[in-house]
Amino acid sequence: MSTQVPILAADNLGVRYGSFVALSDVTLSIRPNTIHSVIGPNGAGKTTLFHALTGRVRASSGRISLNGRDITHVSDDKRVPLGIARSFQVTSLFQNLSVRENLRLAAQGRTPLQALAPWRGVDPRGGALAVADEVMERLELAHVSERAAGELSHGQQRRLEVGMAVAAKPRLILLDEPTSGMGIDDVEAMKALIRDLGRDHTVLFIEHNMGIVMNISDTVTVMRAGRVLVEGPPALVRDDPEVRRAYLGNMITGDIA
Amino acid sequence: MIYLFQLVNGIGLGMLYFLLAVGLSIIFGLLHFVNFAHGAFYLLGAYLVYDMTERGVNFWAGLLLAPVVVAGLAALTEAVLLRRIYHLPHTFHILVTVGLALMVQELVIILWGPVGGNVSPPDVLGGVFMLGDFIYPQYRLFVIGLTLVLAIGLWWLLEGTRLGAVVRAGSESTDMVSLLGIDIVRVNTAVFALGAGLAGLAGALAAPIRGVEPFMGVEALGIAFVVVVIGGMGSYTGALIAGLLVGIVQSVMATLWPEGARLMIYLGMGLVILTMPRGLLGRA
Amino acid sequence: MNRASLHFVLAALVAIALPLFMRSGTLASEVLIFAMAAAACNLLLGYTGLLSFGQGIFFGLGSYAAGLTLLHTSLPLGAALALATIAGAVAATGVGWLSIRRQGVYFVMLTLAFSQFFYFLAYTFKDVTGGDNGLLNIPRPAIGPFALGESWAYYAFVAVLFLLVFAALQRVASSTFGRTLLAIRDNEERARAIGFPVRLFKITAFAVSGAVTGLAGALHALLIGVAPLSSIEYHMSESILIMTIIGGSGNLFASVLGAGFYVIVSDLLSSIWPRWLLLLGGLLVVVALFMQKGLWGLLERLVEALQNGRKSPVEAPVRPESEGRSI
Repeated sequence: MSTQVPILAADNLGVRYGSFVALSDVTLSIRPNTIHSVIGPNGAGKTTLFHALTGRVRASSGRISLNGRDITHVSDDKRVPLGIARSFQVTSLFQNLSVRENLRLAAQGRTPLQALAPWRGVDPRGGALAVADEVMERLELAHVSERAAGELSHGQQRRLEVGMAVAAKPRLILLDEPTSGMGIDDVEAMKALIRDLGRDHTVLFIEHNMGIVMNISDTVTVMRAGRVLVEGPPALVRDDPEVRRAYLGNMITGDIA
Repeated sequence: MIYLFQLVNGIGLGMLYFLLAVGLSIIFGLLHFVNFAHGAFYLLGAYLVYDMTERGVNFWAGLLLAPVVVAGLAALTEAVLLRRIYHLPHTFHILVTVGLALMVQELVIILWGPVGGNVSPPDVLGGVFMLGDFIYPQYRLFVIGLTLVLAIGLWWLLEGTRLGAVVRAGSESTDMVSLLGIDIVRVNTAVFALGAGLAGLAGALAAPIRGVEPFMGVEALGIAFVVVVIGGMGSYTGALIAGLLVGIVQSVMATLWPEGARLMIYLGMGLVILTMPRGLLGRA
Repeated sequence: MNRASLHFVLAALVAIALPLFMRSGTLASEVLIFAMAAAACNLLLGYTGLLSFGQGIFFGLGSYAAGLTLLHTSLPLGAALALATIAGAVAATGVGWLSIRRQGVYFVMLTLAFSQFFYFLAYTFKDVTGGDNGLLNIPRPAIGPFALGESWAYYAFVAVLFLLVFAALQRVASSTFGRTLLAIRDNEERARAIGFPVRLFKITAFAVSGAVTGLAGALHALLIGVAPLSSIEYHMSESILIMTIIGGSGNLFASVLGAGFYVIVSDLLSSIWPRWLLLLGGLLVVVALFMQKGLWGLLERLVEALQNGRKSPVEAPVRPESEGRSI
């Protein structure tokens, strides 16, 4: 398996804000069709890593490649058609637009220039709208399809947040703390959803809930202070003394399924 | 020699632009409020000096009173009207201040007529200053001197006092200011009055140089925006550098291509935006 | 009937009703010309979230382009209008491209600064624009077999163009493009994250807006026979923006209301009192404080009140005010 070309690879990636080093020498390789999680204490640089991988933040050093192609200097919006889509830690939806329209837009984002023609209407049968309906089914949001995103419950908004990434039909899907602020029932549903997404996507996700991380990940990357501390399968990571020290001993509890 | 003359002219003009822009800038810095009535305060300052000297009031008294009256009116406007709209989107800030600017402009026409007029500098400064071949109006030298003193005073106010600390903290976070236990409502009024007063003073000082007319407010607003776009909103140094730059470019161009002098200001702004989208000092 | 068709019918009703209620064909034409300009401004303000203080640039350039074409060439009217439309679109592309490099209030200030730039440009190159006097004696040639010299004949021509433009703008607003603009307005960061090159969309919105505004400027120049310097002044940008906000930024028909109200009321007031802008200034403050959804919001509340119960006939007298065509 380790001989496979990684779907996404970061080589010595660094991000500086002025004199502040948010990320340094991060080398990461995501194997296709795996679920890969990133954990670490607050301020470890997890979200910055996501920003750099999706192109929202420019890398100060190092190189990012997607299926072997260098995308370090490709802007964030142009990485979407290449097959990278993400969700945000803080829910970021089109609050005033309906759930269906949110997902339709996310699906359209794969071929954004088609939407640039001011005379072209929305195709009622095929294309983006069909994808939106499909994603709504998968995320159990069909019954609220016409409701404005801002009116949904928190759990529904978090699911739609993930749905925005799914609708782009990406090869690699990045989820930034998909369970943040969720109640216990919603967390279980999200766990099932992520595992389900792992069947037809490569998933990279940041998570604080160790139950989920240890349960469904193929690979876990532990970060601290902008660097990679340890990387490996859940069992290995859980027993690593360095990780135990970083987490003050007892925070990693989840069972391995 | 003509270029030296125009350079000094440009410094004087630039310092007036600085006063105008720094007023706009500190209002925005603290209140996050774009004041489209800023030109109207400039207009009012100029007309108050004009009115008082026409009535035979001493020029110096006029120069002192005009900005004070403008600041007072601004404080009243802030307390009665503007603080009710801070929570609304920018569109409505703009709508209200555009409305206020129109009202001031029309009031000026009603009170003083549509034609405008001239203001004579005081007799003491009516002459010229000579140094070898260099001959220069005394009043303009006085403007440069006074604005330099004001610039230093303002720098001290913003960097060295409690009020300044609040203004700078306010531009970072309003919550923090409340935590410091400062009556933010009063600080808001004071800062708005200060910003407007600076515009009024710029107008008052400019009156003997360029005369008064009812539409000088709009032009001043455009210039203040250019200075702030080039220098960066909320930045004292930015306003100073950009103000001087704009003043000097306008003055020097007035010799090279008189009709196009003001055009060059805006062309210059376009170039800055093209090459340095964040302005000279590169703040967000 | 869906919302868009309802609004189109309302716009058509306005175009038909103006001749019935108004004595001056010139004033009626002015209403529809500014309705186009305001609707174009609304495409930026209401759909894209861009408050442009530069609409006068495109209006003024449209006026000059049409005037210069008709004065110095033998091209037909249609070509003059097309050139004005192109001039508006090209200028808007440039102004938009530069202005959206900055966001929020900086953007607004930049558009205003550019409107000053174009004003001084027009003022400086007197040989081309006529400077303070403007371009005088612009002819109003016939279009095909139809002579447009008489004011109501010209109105009919303007009305047809107005309805075509209105329908086109509606089409733009409901296209995938327009819906993407709404998304950008709602959450620009997310729009970029899902793959939309946001700047390109904003610039395109500017180009469309500028094209329509340029056409409106050309029609205005033909209406009054002059392309005046005031068409490219700060106050033109200001007026177009005010019409748009007074009407309400929620839909395109609201801009027709706003333009109608502004043009008719200003005509009425200015004939009574030359300093009417004082009252307009006060009105803007009132709108910001009490009527944030503009005239359209007022109309909606009125319709709602009428539907909810006819027990309060007291509200009837308010009615003509909301349409603003009581002349």
